[in-house]
Amino acid sequence: MKDQWTDRLSEYLDGELGAAERAALEGHLATCAECGATLAELRRVVARAGALHDRPPTADLWPAIAQHIGVVSLPARRARRRIAFTVPQLAAASVALALVSSATAWLLIRPGARGPVAEAPTPAPSAPATLATAAMYPDKRYAAQVADLERALERGRGQLDTTTVRVIEKNLRIINRAIREAQSALAADPANSYLNLHLAQEMRRKLELLRQAAALAGARS
Amino acid sequence: MELTIPGVATLHRDRDQAARRSGRGGDAETADAALAAAGDGRAFERLYRAHVARIHSLVRRMMGPDQADDVTQDVFVRAWNKLATFRAEAAFGTWLHRLAVNVILARRTTLGTERGRYDDSEDALEVVPSRPGAGVELSVDFEQAMGRLPDGARQVFVLHDIEGYRHEEIADMLGIVEGTSKSQLHHARMALRRHLER
Repeated sequence: MKDQWTDRLSEYLDGELGAAERAALEGHLATCAECGATLAELRRVVARAGALHDRPPTADLWPAIAQHIGVVSLPARRARRRIAFTVPQLAAASVALALVSSATAWLLIRPGARGPVAEAPTPAPSAPATLATAAMYPDKRYAAQVADLERALERGRGQLDTTTVRVIEKNLRIINRAIREAQSALAADPANSYLNLHLAQEMRRKLELLRQAAALAGARS
Repeated sequence: MELTIPGVATLHRDRDQAARRSGRGGDAETADAALAAAGDGRAFERLYRAHVARIHSLVRRMMGPDQADDVTQDVFVRAWNKLATFRAEAAFGTWLHRLAVNVILARRTTLGTERGRYDDSEDALEVVPSRPGAGVELSVDFEQAMGRLPDGARQVFVLHDIEGYRHEEIADMLGIVEGTSKSQLHHARMALRRHLER
Protein backbone atom coordinates (compact mmCIF):
# COMPACT_ATOMS: atom_id res chain seq x y z
CA MET A 1 0.00 0.00 0.00
CA LYS A 2 1.23 3.47 -0.80
CA ASP A 3 0.54 6.71 0.92
CA GLN A 4 1.48 10.27 0.10
CA TRP A 5 4.94 9.81 1.61
CA THR A 6 6.03 6.61 -0.06
CA ASP A 7 7.43 8.36 -3.12
CA ARG A 8 9.41 10.77 -0.96
CA LEU A 9 11.32 8.12 0.95
CA SER A 10 14.32 8.10 -1.37
CA GLU A 11 14.65 11.86 -1.15
CA TYR A 12 14.43 11.58 2.62
CA LEU A 13 17.06 8.85 2.58
CA ASP A 14 19.37 11.01 0.45
CA GLY A 15 18.89 14.08 2.64
CA GLU A 16 17.23 16.05 -0.11
CA LEU A 17 14.04 17.12 1.62
CA GLY A 18 13.62 20.56 3.05
CA ALA A 19 13.41 20.96 6.80
CA ALA A 20 9.63 21.21 6.89
CA GLU A 21 9.04 18.15 4.71
CA ARG A 22 11.65 16.22 6.57
CA ALA A 23 10.00 16.94 9.88
CA ALA A 24 6.60 16.00 8.49
CA LEU A 25 7.88 12.74 7.07
CA GLU A 26 9.61 11.84 10.30
CA GLY A 27 6.35 12.45 12.07
CA HIS A 28 4.65 10.11 9.64
CA LEU A 29 7.31 7.43 10.05
CA ALA A 30 6.66 7.40 13.78
CA THR A 31 3.16 6.15 13.13
CA CYS A 32 3.40 4.22 9.82
CA ALA A 33 5.11 0.87 10.15
CA GLU A 34 4.81 0.16 6.43
CA CYS A 35 6.72 3.28 5.43
CA GLY A 36 9.28 2.47 8.08
CA ALA A 37 9.78 -1.00 6.62
CA THR A 38 10.02 0.39 3.08
CA LEU A 39 12.59 2.92 4.18
CA ALA A 40 14.68 0.16 5.75
CA GLU A 41 14.55 -1.80 2.49
CA LEU A 42 15.58 1.22 0.48
CA ARG A 43 18.54 1.65 2.79
CA ARG A 44 19.53 -1.92 2.12
CA VAL A 45 19.27 -1.39 -1.64
CA VAL A 46 21.59 1.61 -1.43
CA ALA A 47 24.03 -0.32 0.74
CA ARG A 48 23.91 -3.27 -1.65
CA ALA A 49 24.64 -1.02 -4.62
CA GLY A 50 27.60 0.48 -2.83
CA ALA A 51 29.00 -2.95 -2.06
CA LEU A 52 28.99 -4.26 -5.63
CA HIS A 53 32.33 -5.55 -6.82
CA ASP A 54 33.76 -4.79 -10.21
CA ARG A 55 34.25 -7.78 -12.48
CA PRO A 56 36.54 -7.93 -15.51
CA PRO A 57 35.21 -9.18 -18.85
CA THR A 58 35.21 -12.91 -19.31
CA ALA A 59 37.43 -12.58 -22.37
CA ASP A 60 40.60 -10.51 -22.64
CA LEU A 61 39.72 -7.46 -24.72
CA TRP A 62 43.28 -6.23 -25.02
CA PRO A 63 44.27 -8.04 -28.25
CA ALA A 64 41.39 -6.42 -30.13
CA ILE A 65 42.14 -3.03 -28.62
CA ALA A 66 45.84 -3.37 -29.41
CA GLN A 67 45.05 -4.24 -32.98
CA HIS A 68 42.69 -1.32 -33.29
CA ILE A 69 45.16 1.25 -32.01
CA GLY A 70 48.10 -0.24 -33.83
CA VAL A 71 50.18 -1.58 -30.98
CA VAL A 72 51.26 -5.15 -30.55
CA SER A 73 50.05 -7.16 -27.61
CA LEU A 74 52.54 -9.17 -25.60
CA PRO A 75 51.32 -12.57 -26.84
CA ALA A 76 51.40 -11.33 -30.43
CA ARG A 77 54.91 -10.04 -29.97
CA ARG A 78 56.02 -13.40 -28.69
CA ALA A 79 54.38 -15.22 -31.56
CA ARG A 80 55.93 -12.93 -34.11
CA ARG A 81 59.34 -13.42 -32.68
CA ARG A 82 59.02 -17.16 -32.93
CA ILE A 83 58.21 -16.82 -36.58
CA ALA A 84 60.80 -14.23 -37.44
CA PHE A 85 63.74 -15.81 -35.69
CA THR A 86 64.37 -19.48 -35.86
CA VAL A 87 67.89 -19.55 -34.50
CA PRO A 88 67.74 -21.10 -31.02
CA GLN A 89 69.98 -18.47 -29.62
CA LEU A 90 67.59 -15.76 -30.70
CA ALA A 91 64.55 -17.61 -29.49
CA ALA A 92 66.06 -17.74 -26.04
CA ALA A 93 66.62 -14.03 -26.14
CA SER A 94 63.21 -13.28 -27.59
CA VAL A 95 62.57 -9.89 -26.11
CA ALA A 96 66.04 -8.66 -26.91
CA LEU A 97 65.76 -9.60 -30.52
CA ALA A 98 63.57 -6.87 -31.85
CA LEU A 99 65.44 -4.26 -29.87
CA VAL A 100 68.78 -5.51 -31.03
CA SER A 101 67.75 -5.49 -34.62
CA SER A 102 66.46 -1.98 -34.49
CA ALA A 103 69.66 -0.58 -33.05
CA THR A 104 71.63 -2.05 -35.91
CA ALA A 105 69.22 -0.54 -38.33
CA TRP A 106 69.98 2.84 -37.00
CA LEU A 107 73.64 2.32 -37.58
CA LEU A 108 73.02 1.31 -41.12
CA ILE A 109 71.13 4.40 -41.98
CA ARG A 110 73.61 6.84 -40.57
CA PRO A 111 75.00 9.28 -43.10
CA GLY A 112 77.97 7.74 -44.79
CA ALA A 113 77.20 4.33 -43.46
CA ARG A 114 78.26 1.39 -45.56
CA GLY A 115 76.75 -2.04 -45.60
CA PRO A 116 74.35 -4.35 -47.28
CA VAL A 117 71.12 -2.62 -46.44
CA ALA A 118 70.59 -0.50 -49.50
CA GLU A 119 66.91 -1.35 -49.34
CA ALA A 120 66.54 0.14 -45.90
CA PRO A 121 64.27 3.16 -45.89
CA THR A 122 65.80 6.56 -46.21
CA PRO A 123 66.20 7.95 -42.76
CA ALA A 124 63.99 10.79 -41.76
CA PRO A 125 65.67 14.17 -41.48
CA SER A 126 65.58 13.82 -37.75
CA ALA A 127 67.38 10.50 -37.70
CA PRO A 128 70.92 11.93 -37.57
CA ALA A 129 69.91 13.45 -34.30
CA THR A 130 70.67 10.08 -32.78
CA LEU A 131 74.30 10.97 -33.21
CA ALA A 132 73.80 13.91 -30.97
CA THR A 133 72.93 11.72 -28.07
CA ALA A 134 76.07 12.55 -26.15
CA ALA A 135 75.35 16.21 -26.43
CA MET A 136 71.70 15.94 -25.50
CA TYR A 137 72.21 14.99 -21.88
CA PRO A 138 74.28 16.54 -19.17
CA ASP A 139 75.00 13.09 -17.71
CA LYS A 140 78.43 12.22 -19.11
CA ARG A 141 78.29 8.66 -17.89
CA TYR A 142 75.05 8.07 -19.72
CA ALA A 143 76.41 9.65 -22.88
CA ALA A 144 79.55 7.55 -22.65
CA GLN A 145 77.52 4.37 -22.25
CA VAL A 146 75.42 5.22 -25.26
CA ALA A 147 78.48 6.00 -27.34
CA ASP A 148 80.17 2.73 -26.33
CA LEU A 149 77.12 0.72 -27.23
CA GLU A 150 76.74 2.48 -30.54
CA ARG A 151 80.31 1.63 -31.42
CA ALA A 152 79.83 -2.00 -30.42
CA LEU A 153 76.69 -2.16 -32.45
CA GLU A 154 78.38 -0.68 -35.47
CA ARG A 155 81.10 -3.28 -35.32
CA GLY A 156 78.56 -6.09 -35.46
CA ARG A 157 75.86 -4.56 -37.55
CA GLY A 158 76.72 -6.54 -40.66
CA GLN A 159 75.57 -9.66 -38.85
CA LEU A 160 71.99 -8.53 -38.64
CA ASP A 161 69.42 -8.86 -41.38
CA THR A 162 67.79 -5.88 -43.02
CA THR A 163 64.35 -6.50 -41.58
CA THR A 164 65.78 -6.40 -38.12
CA VAL A 165 67.65 -3.27 -39.02
CA ARG A 166 64.48 -1.53 -40.11
CA VAL A 167 62.71 -2.40 -36.89
CA ILE A 168 65.54 -1.00 -34.84
CA GLU A 169 65.64 2.13 -36.92
CA LYS A 170 61.99 2.74 -36.31
CA ASN A 171 62.22 2.11 -32.58
CA LEU A 172 65.16 4.40 -32.15
CA ARG A 173 63.46 7.18 -34.04
CA ILE A 174 60.42 6.88 -31.80
CA ILE A 175 62.50 6.93 -28.64
CA ASN A 176 64.66 9.81 -29.79
CA ARG A 177 61.62 11.82 -30.73
CA ALA A 178 60.10 11.22 -27.32
CA ILE A 179 63.36 12.27 -25.67
CA ARG A 180 63.58 15.46 -27.71
CA GLU A 181 59.98 16.36 -26.97
CA ALA A 182 60.45 15.77 -23.27
CA GLN A 183 63.61 17.87 -23.24
CA SER A 184 61.89 20.63 -25.10
CA ALA A 185 58.96 20.61 -22.68
CA LEU A 186 61.32 20.53 -19.72
CA ALA A 187 63.15 23.57 -21.03
CA ALA A 188 59.92 25.49 -20.56
CA ASP A 189 58.96 23.79 -17.31
CA PRO A 190 62.11 22.44 -15.61
CA ALA A 191 60.42 21.59 -12.33
CA ASN A 192 57.77 19.37 -13.87
CA SER A 193 58.25 16.00 -12.17
CA TYR A 194 55.98 14.31 -14.65
CA LEU A 195 58.17 15.36 -17.57
CA ASN A 196 61.35 14.48 -15.70
CA LEU A 197 60.05 11.00 -15.05
CA HIS A 198 59.02 10.63 -18.66
CA LEU A 199 62.43 11.74 -19.92
CA ALA A 200 64.22 9.36 -17.56
CA GLN A 201 62.11 6.47 -18.75
CA GLU A 202 62.77 7.23 -22.39
CA MET A 203 66.49 7.49 -21.76
CA ARG A 204 66.44 4.13 -20.01
CA ARG A 205 64.53 2.65 -22.91
CA LYS A 206 67.15 3.85 -25.36
CA LEU A 207 70.03 2.54 -23.28
CA GLU A 208 68.38 -0.84 -22.89
CA LEU A 209 67.64 -1.09 -26.58
CA LEU A 210 71.24 -0.30 -27.50
CA ARG A 211 72.57 -2.68 -24.88
CA GLN A 212 70.53 -5.60 -26.14
CA ALA A 213 71.19 -4.77 -29.76
CA ALA A 214 74.91 -4.61 -29.23
CA ALA A 215 74.86 -7.90 -27.35
CA LEU A 216 73.06 -9.67 -30.14
CA ALA A 217 75.21 -8.18 -32.84
CA GLY A 218 78.27 -9.28 -30.91
CA ALA A 219 76.89 -12.78 -30.42
CA ARG A 220 76.28 -13.17 -34.12
CA SER A 221 79.66 -11.93 -35.27
CA MET B 1 38.82 19.48 -8.19
CA GLU B 2 37.10 19.82 -11.52
CA LEU B 3 37.63 18.20 -14.84
CA THR B 4 35.39 18.58 -17.81
CA ILE B 5 34.88 16.36 -20.77
CA PRO B 6 32.43 17.68 -23.34
CA GLY B 7 29.09 16.05 -22.86
CA VAL B 8 29.90 14.87 -19.38
CA ALA B 9 28.94 16.80 -16.31
CA THR B 10 31.64 18.61 -14.44
CA LEU B 11 32.26 16.78 -11.21
CA HIS B 12 32.73 18.65 -8.01
CA ARG B 13 33.39 15.85 -5.63
CA ASP B 14 36.67 14.07 -5.27
CA ARG B 15 36.16 10.77 -7.02
CA ASP B 16 39.84 9.99 -7.26
CA GLN B 17 39.59 7.62 -4.34
CA ALA B 18 37.32 5.34 -6.31
CA ALA B 19 39.59 5.64 -9.29
CA ARG B 20 42.62 4.67 -7.29
CA ARG B 21 40.74 1.67 -5.98
CA SER B 22 41.20 -0.01 -9.33
CA GLY B 23 44.49 1.61 -10.26
CA ARG B 24 48.09 1.07 -9.24
CA GLY B 25 48.79 4.46 -7.80
CA GLY B 26 49.01 8.01 -9.03
CA ASP B 27 52.67 8.39 -9.96
CA ALA B 28 52.99 5.08 -11.76
CA GLU B 29 49.80 5.61 -13.70
CA THR B 30 50.66 9.18 -14.58
CA ALA B 31 53.99 7.96 -15.90
CA ASP B 32 52.31 5.22 -17.88
CA ALA B 33 49.83 7.70 -19.28
CA ALA B 34 52.73 9.87 -20.45
CA LEU B 35 54.48 6.90 -22.00
CA ALA B 36 51.30 5.79 -23.68
CA ALA B 37 50.71 9.29 -25.03
CA ALA B 38 54.15 9.02 -26.62
CA GLY B 39 53.14 5.77 -28.29
CA ASP B 40 54.18 3.16 -25.74
CA GLY B 41 51.70 0.34 -26.16
CA ARG B 42 52.98 -1.62 -23.19
CA ALA B 43 52.35 1.32 -20.89
CA PHE B 44 48.82 1.57 -22.21
CA GLU B 45 48.33 -2.13 -21.75
CA ARG B 46 49.24 -1.73 -18.08
CA LEU B 47 46.64 1.00 -17.77
CA TYR B 48 44.11 -1.20 -19.51
CA ARG B 49 44.71 -4.10 -17.15
CA ALA B 50 44.48 -1.85 -14.10
CA HIS B 51 41.14 -0.35 -15.10
CA VAL B 52 39.32 -2.78 -17.34
CA ALA B 53 37.29 -4.36 -14.53
CA ARG B 54 35.91 -1.03 -13.36
CA ILE B 55 35.17 0.26 -16.85
CA HIS B 56 33.64 -3.01 -17.99
CA SER B 57 31.46 -3.13 -14.89
CA LEU B 58 30.29 0.42 -15.48
CA VAL B 59 29.43 -0.34 -19.10
CA ARG B 60 27.75 -3.62 -18.24
CA ARG B 61 25.58 -2.01 -15.60
CA MET B 62 24.69 0.95 -17.78
CA MET B 63 24.11 -0.83 -21.07
CA GLY B 64 23.71 -4.50 -20.31
CA PRO B 65 26.03 -7.46 -20.89
CA ASP B 66 25.47 -7.72 -24.64
CA GLN B 67 27.10 -4.36 -25.30
CA ALA B 68 29.69 -4.47 -22.57
CA ASP B 69 32.69 -5.87 -24.43
CA ASP B 70 32.20 -3.75 -27.51
CA VAL B 71 31.69 -0.50 -25.65
CA THR B 72 34.56 -1.21 -23.27
CA GLN B 73 36.86 -1.64 -26.26
CA ASP B 74 35.58 1.62 -27.65
CA VAL B 75 36.32 3.37 -24.36
CA PHE B 76 39.94 2.27 -24.39
CA VAL B 77 40.42 3.06 -28.06
CA ARG B 78 39.10 6.55 -27.47
CA ALA B 79 41.24 6.90 -24.36
CA TRP B 80 44.31 6.05 -26.45
CA ASN B 81 43.36 8.68 -28.99
CA LYS B 82 42.72 11.30 -26.31
CA LEU B 83 45.71 10.64 -24.06
CA ALA B 84 47.26 13.92 -25.06
CA THR B 85 44.39 15.71 -23.31
CA PHE B 86 45.08 14.00 -19.99
CA ARG B 87 46.68 16.66 -17.81
CA ALA B 88 47.33 14.65 -14.67
CA GLU B 89 45.20 17.12 -12.71
CA ALA B 90 43.18 14.15 -11.51
CA ALA B 91 43.91 10.46 -11.26
CA PHE B 92 44.09 8.70 -14.58
CA GLY B 93 41.24 6.47 -13.43
CA THR B 94 39.01 9.46 -12.85
CA TRP B 95 39.77 10.82 -16.29
CA LEU B 96 39.13 7.44 -17.85
CA HIS B 97 35.88 6.96 -15.95
CA ARG B 98 34.51 10.27 -17.16
CA LEU B 99 35.51 9.44 -20.67
CA ALA B 100 33.74 6.10 -20.33
CA VAL B 101 30.52 7.75 -19.19
CA ASN B 102 30.74 10.03 -22.20
CA VAL B 103 31.19 7.10 -24.56
CA ILE B 104 28.34 5.18 -22.95
CA LEU B 105 25.93 8.07 -23.24
CA ALA B 106 26.89 8.72 -26.84
CA ARG B 107 26.51 5.05 -27.70
CA ARG B 108 23.19 4.88 -25.90
CA THR B 109 21.89 7.67 -28.08
CA THR B 110 23.26 6.09 -31.22
CA LEU B 111 21.60 2.80 -30.46
CA GLY B 112 18.31 4.44 -29.67
CA THR B 113 18.15 2.63 -26.39
CA GLU B 114 16.71 5.73 -24.87
CA ARG B 115 13.26 4.89 -26.17
CA GLY B 116 10.89 4.99 -23.27
CA ARG B 117 13.72 5.34 -20.84
CA TYR B 118 12.08 8.07 -18.85
CA ASP B 119 8.78 6.41 -18.41
CA ASP B 120 7.82 7.85 -15.09
CA SER B 121 4.98 5.51 -14.42
CA GLU B 122 4.71 2.69 -11.98
CA ASP B 123 4.50 0.33 -14.92
CA ALA B 124 8.25 0.42 -15.11
CA LEU B 125 8.42 -1.49 -11.90
CA GLU B 126 6.65 -4.40 -13.46
CA VAL B 127 9.60 -5.00 -15.76
CA VAL B 128 11.58 -6.34 -12.85
CA PRO B 129 9.96 -9.56 -11.72
CA SER B 130 9.16 -9.59 -8.08
CA ARG B 131 10.91 -12.12 -5.99
CA PRO B 132 8.72 -15.05 -5.05
CA GLY B 133 9.01 -16.88 -1.80
CA ALA B 134 10.75 -19.78 -3.49
CA GLY B 135 11.71 -20.86 -6.98
CA VAL B 136 14.11 -19.98 -9.75
CA GLU B 137 13.81 -16.25 -9.18
CA LEU B 138 15.72 -16.72 -5.95
CA SER B 139 18.81 -17.20 -8.09
CA VAL B 140 18.42 -13.83 -9.76
CA ASP B 141 21.10 -11.77 -8.14
CA PHE B 142 21.06 -8.10 -7.52
CA GLU B 143 23.06 -7.13 -10.59
CA GLN B 144 20.90 -9.19 -12.88
CA ALA B 145 17.86 -7.50 -11.38
CA MET B 146 19.46 -4.15 -12.16
CA GLY B 147 19.77 -5.24 -15.75
CA ARG B 148 16.04 -5.78 -15.94
CA LEU B 149 15.22 -2.23 -14.99
CA PRO B 150 14.05 0.11 -17.74
CA ASP B 151 17.01 1.91 -19.31
CA GLY B 152 16.34 5.26 -17.71
CA ALA B 153 15.83 3.92 -14.20
CA ARG B 154 18.88 1.68 -14.50
CA GLN B 155 21.15 4.46 -15.72
CA VAL B 156 20.07 6.86 -13.01
CA PHE B 157 20.47 4.15 -10.38
CA VAL B 158 23.97 3.24 -11.58
CA LEU B 159 25.11 6.82 -11.85
CA HIS B 160 23.68 7.83 -8.46
CA ASP B 161 23.90 4.85 -6.15
CA ILE B 162 26.96 3.12 -7.59
CA GLU B 163 29.00 5.87 -9.24
CA GLY B 164 28.11 8.67 -6.84
CA TYR B 165 26.90 11.37 -9.20
CA ARG B 166 24.39 13.91 -7.95
CA HIS B 167 20.95 14.38 -9.47
CA GLU B 168 22.04 17.72 -10.86
CA GLU B 169 24.91 16.06 -12.69
CA ILE B 170 22.82 13.14 -13.86
CA ALA B 171 20.12 15.43 -15.18
CA ASP B 172 22.74 17.33 -17.16
CA MET B 173 24.27 14.16 -18.55
CA LEU B 174 21.01 12.53 -19.53
CA GLY B 175 19.21 15.65 -20.66
CA ILE B 176 16.40 15.38 -18.15
CA VAL B 177 15.21 17.48 -15.23
CA GLU B 178 16.31 16.74 -11.70
CA GLY B 179 12.82 15.73 -10.67
CA THR B 180 12.81 13.00 -13.29
CA SER B 181 16.18 11.77 -12.09
CA LYS B 182 14.91 11.57 -8.51
CA SER B 183 11.74 9.81 -9.59
CA GLN B 184 13.66 7.27 -11.69
CA LEU B 185 16.00 6.58 -8.82
CA HIS B 186 13.16 5.95 -6.42
CA HIS B 187 11.42 3.64 -8.87
CA ALA B 188 14.63 1.68 -9.39
CA ARG B 189 15.19 1.29 -5.66
CA MET B 190 11.60 0.25 -5.06
CA ALA B 191 11.92 -2.41 -7.75
CA LEU B 192 15.26 -3.69 -6.55
CA ARG B 193 14.28 -4.05 -2.89
CA ARG B 194 12.38 -7.15 -3.92
CA HIS B 195 15.68 -8.77 -4.89
CA LEU B 196 17.56 -8.23 -1.70
CA GLU B 197 18.95 -11.29 -0.02
CA ARG B 198 16.89 -12.25 2.92
